[in-house]
Amino acid sequence: MAEVRSSRTVLTSITAYGTLIVISIFCLLPFVWMALASVDSNAQLFLKWPDSWTLDNYSRVFNKEDGYRWFGNSLFTVLSATILVIIISGLGGYALSRSRAWWKQPFLYAILLIRVLPSTALLVPLYKILLGFNNAEGAVVRPLFGSASRQVMQIFGFIDGYLGLIIVLTAGQLPLALWIMKVFFDGVPKDFEEAAILDGATLVQRIRRVLIPLALPGLAAAGLFTFMSAWGDFLLPLILLSSAELSTLPLGLFRAFLRVNEIDYGLLAAIAVVYLIPAVIAFSFARRFLVQTFSGGVKG
Amino acid sequence: MSTPMIELKGVNKRYGHVQVIHDVDIAVADGEFTVFVGPSGCGKSTLLRMIAGLETIDGGDLVLNGKRINDVPPDQRGIAMVFQSYALYPHMTVAQNIGFSLDLKKVPKAEISREVGRVAELLQLSELLDRRPAALSGGQRQRVAIGRAIIKRPRVILFDEPLSNLDAALRVQMRAELQKLHQELKPTIVYVTHDQVEAMTMASRIVVLNQGRVEQWDTPIALYSNPVNTFVAGFIGSPKMNLLSGTLGADGDVTSFRADAGWSVPLPGRSLAGKIGERVTLGIRPEEIRPVDDAGKADFAATVAIVERLGAETYLNVTSGDATLLVRVQGDLAMSPGEPVQLAMNHDAFHLFDQSGRVIAA
Ligand SMILES: Nc1ncnc2c1ncn2[C@@H]1O[C@H](COP(=O)(O)OP(=O)(O)OP(=O)(O)O)[C@@H](O)[C@H]1O
Ligand SMILES: [Mg+2]
Repeated sequence: MAEVRSSRTVLTSITAYGTLIVISIFCLLPFVWMALASVDSNAQLFLKWPDSWTLDNYSRVFNKEDGYRWFGNSLFTVLSATILVIIISGLGGYALSRSRAWWKQPFLYAILLIRVLPSTALLVPLYKILLGFNNAEGAVVRPLFGSASRQVMQIFGFIDGYLGLIIVLTAGQLPLALWIMKVFFDGVPKDFEEAAILDGATLVQRIRRVLIPLALPGLAAAGLFTFMSAWGDFLLPLILLSSAELSTLPLGLFRAFLRVNEIDYGLLAAIAVVYLIPAVIAFSFARRFLVQTFSGGVKG
Repeated sequence: MSTPMIELKGVNKRYGHVQVIHDVDIAVADGEFTVFVGPSGCGKSTLLRMIAGLETIDGGDLVLNGKRINDVPPDQRGIAMVFQSYALYPHMTVAQNIGFSLDLKKVPKAEISREVGRVAELLQLSELLDRRPAALSGGQRQRVAIGRAIIKRPRVILFDEPLSNLDAALRVQMRAELQKLHQELKPTIVYVTHDQVEAMTMASRIVVLNQGRVEQWDTPIALYSNPVNTFVAGFIGSPKMNLLSGTLGADGDVTSFRADAGWSVPLPGRSLAGKIGERVTLGIRPEEIRPVDDAGKADFAATVAIVERLGAETYLNVTSGDATLLVRVQGDLAMSPGEPVQLAMNHDAFHLFDQSGRVIAA
């Protein structure tokens, strides 16, 4: 009896682990291919051991291609959006948590709805609106800056400018971040602030010395979520940016892939690895904070 | 009484259309330990927070040391508060928590650490100054919260149910420590609790609140001996006073109380003429009733329902008609449920209340 049962459990385990291993391999394969191909002097479409190990692919990403610029653009736009989201969701989440306004619940569900709607469906009107802003802005900028207006518009423009992309990325990530911060502040008792009021803290002191330290895990979670999903966004930069100088990493990867005459798998794999690294770093930070944020707020 | 430290004159508070505090008039003398007591939701916290300045006052005056402070910001009132949750900042050490108010005032570091040291010594926290609140026990957190309040040398300290998060043994210990602290520093204390034992043991004066109104405001013993209405009679004292309903009757010259269960007791020495026939409530504390062997000495007969033995004393739950009464007897009395019992009452310990619940003066 006991033997039958144990042999059966062994069999079940083998099946279970076997299935899991197959699934894992299936999931890992693209990454393995990418990692190997990026250091292969003669990378091919199929998975193979490198002919000879080389860092040449990486060096080409940064020297022959515009790697530094892509990386810089991606980092700049995504980090700016992340910082904006942290500030706005921190203030907004606090307000949404403490307010007793009648429109609070409708508002919270409305912003969630925005998040749920596929943003691709909204691209045309969004583009139209941004174009309108951009034209209006251009009409002001051009007479003011003359020949330098192209540079100004590349930074502050709504279409084919950093500002437009940053604003749209921020707006896209805000709903989730606001929810995270609202729920987080719900878990922070009002007593902390009231104790600080009685201790003579001004509004600024309460925010700086009490609320921000208390909210840090929540802000980190909101920021990391924002960073990770904005970093992975491809469609928005594709639609909003056209100048080569503004190109971000995913656009660089995409355009390298589109070159018809020669597909350079080694180069593509190297760009992809460079693109992945910040996301992995962000995730390893995120793990720590997410556990803290979603397992019970502040403990005093 | 010289100028009271805190005076509330006709104080009101509304939340929207709901009035939660109704015309509260009380005064707290300098150095006095006043306790607000009452059932949950009666407005104790609201009243305390109005004194602290965390809630606005919708009507009436709040006077501190002779000065009206309705519109003075909380931090300028010279009032400190200990919260039920303690509200210790988790990102600061014990020393930083205690010294926070001085730090905000830009007091020099050396002076802050001297003051923190003084307070920590007083509260036996000196060993714990570098710890975070998360690494403290409940009683230690409680002491840090008190330290944070007293470092400001406030004239008034407010406590909102500070012991309710502690276990029973620790609560008794902290109660004693708070009393000791009060004797050493002599601050004016206003203390909120819904536990009447806490109120009785610590207070110089108790304010009994019910539905936003002051039911009675007096010393613990006065509340115990002379409750002005059935609410206070039922709230103060543990276990509760027995309240029996009946009517006033007359046996010749002497007025008597006729319980709904059928028996009656004389009420000598009371001028109740003109009230004969009215419905009244008779109050008698459990310790003023005793079992007797002789039916001739008894006031009424009852049946034992439950016997609660606490060792030194035993409580009998007895039924007489529809009424249930609690009787305190000595610990070794042999009684068991279902037994009939003859009970005599101390006729000098009666409290008589009219139909609206107000006491009828003796
Ligand atoms: N912000 C508010 N808005 C509306 N009503 C409130 C608010 N705060 C308190 N109340 C109401 O005011 C009344 C008094 O509340 P309060 O907190 O003072 O009661 P309490 O005596 O401290 O009770 P507890 O013993 O449960 O702490 C309650 O009926 C409560 O529902
Ligand atoms: Mg309360």
